[in-house]
Amino acid sequence: MADFENIAKQFVEYYYKAFDSDRASLAALYGQDSMLTFEATPLQGVGNIIQKLQELPFKEVQHQVATLDAQPADAQGSILVVVSGALLVEAEKRPMSYAQTFQLKPRDGSYYVFNDVFRLVYPAA
Amino acid sequence: MADFETIAKQFVEFYYQAFDSKRENLLPLYREQSMLTFENAPTQGATSIIEKLKVRIHVARTPLVNRKEKTLTFAKSLPFKDVKHQVASVDAQPSSESGGILVLVAGALIVDEEQKPMSYTQAFQLLPDGQGSYFVFNDVFRLVYPAA
Repeated sequence: MADFENIAKQFVEYYYKAFDSDRASLAALYGQDSMLTFEATPLQGVGNIIQKLQELPFKEVQHQVATLDAQPADAQGSILVVVSGALLVEAEKRPMSYAQTFQLKPRDGSYYVFNDVFRLVYPAA
Repeated sequence: MADFETIAKQFVEFYYQAFDSKRENLLPLYREQSMLTFENAPTQGATSIIEKLKVRIHVARTPLVNRKEKTLTFAKSLPFKDVKHQVASVDAQPSSESGGILVLVAGALIVDEEQKPMSYTQAFQLLPDGQGSYFVFNDVFRLVYPAA
């Protein structure tokens, strides 16, 4: 398996584990220049991003990844990751489908999230 | 200064108009180094990409999940000729200092008119082509099946 695919898989696993257990710990995955667009709301910077994620109106959440795709995003080792899956939120009885795309950029021998876009995907009909 | 959101919206509109009417018109949007991952199948290069997208695309209706082995197999594969994309949302962010744009689309795909529409998501990274326009460097397409 290509290296970028391995990195993407490991990252996604770690990301959702952190999200579903301790959202504050996601701070280590973002930087001052990171961007998140969450259901059309644009944010920049790790502080604003973590604040937004912590203010989401649920305590318990579980991400179930259905698909994961990765491609090299540039010649410097950045990686584009596209995830689709289901989101189970405490108050909702039925899981919701979602899509999320990340661009990971190298930083200090590891990676951080530079771009992050999250969207719920509603049934087509 | 170019507005990345406007560029993204215009690109998406053009892309699906071309896709839904004449897929060959997508060729100038890709380059030799472009990558497409279409339902898990990776392709590289404009010509190969258009070959893959042209005329017949095989899309599965519903996957069979083997929970024990953690595999997905597609029980039924439908080739279709006519497709119509209905975009539900477009999000964009700058992706690089050289003017790249990351685009995430969510929407519905109507296949051969009488079939039930399917939800999909598609991510693009657009890069400046050096002549005032953009080309698709990264392209990832996935059908999104109902969560429950």
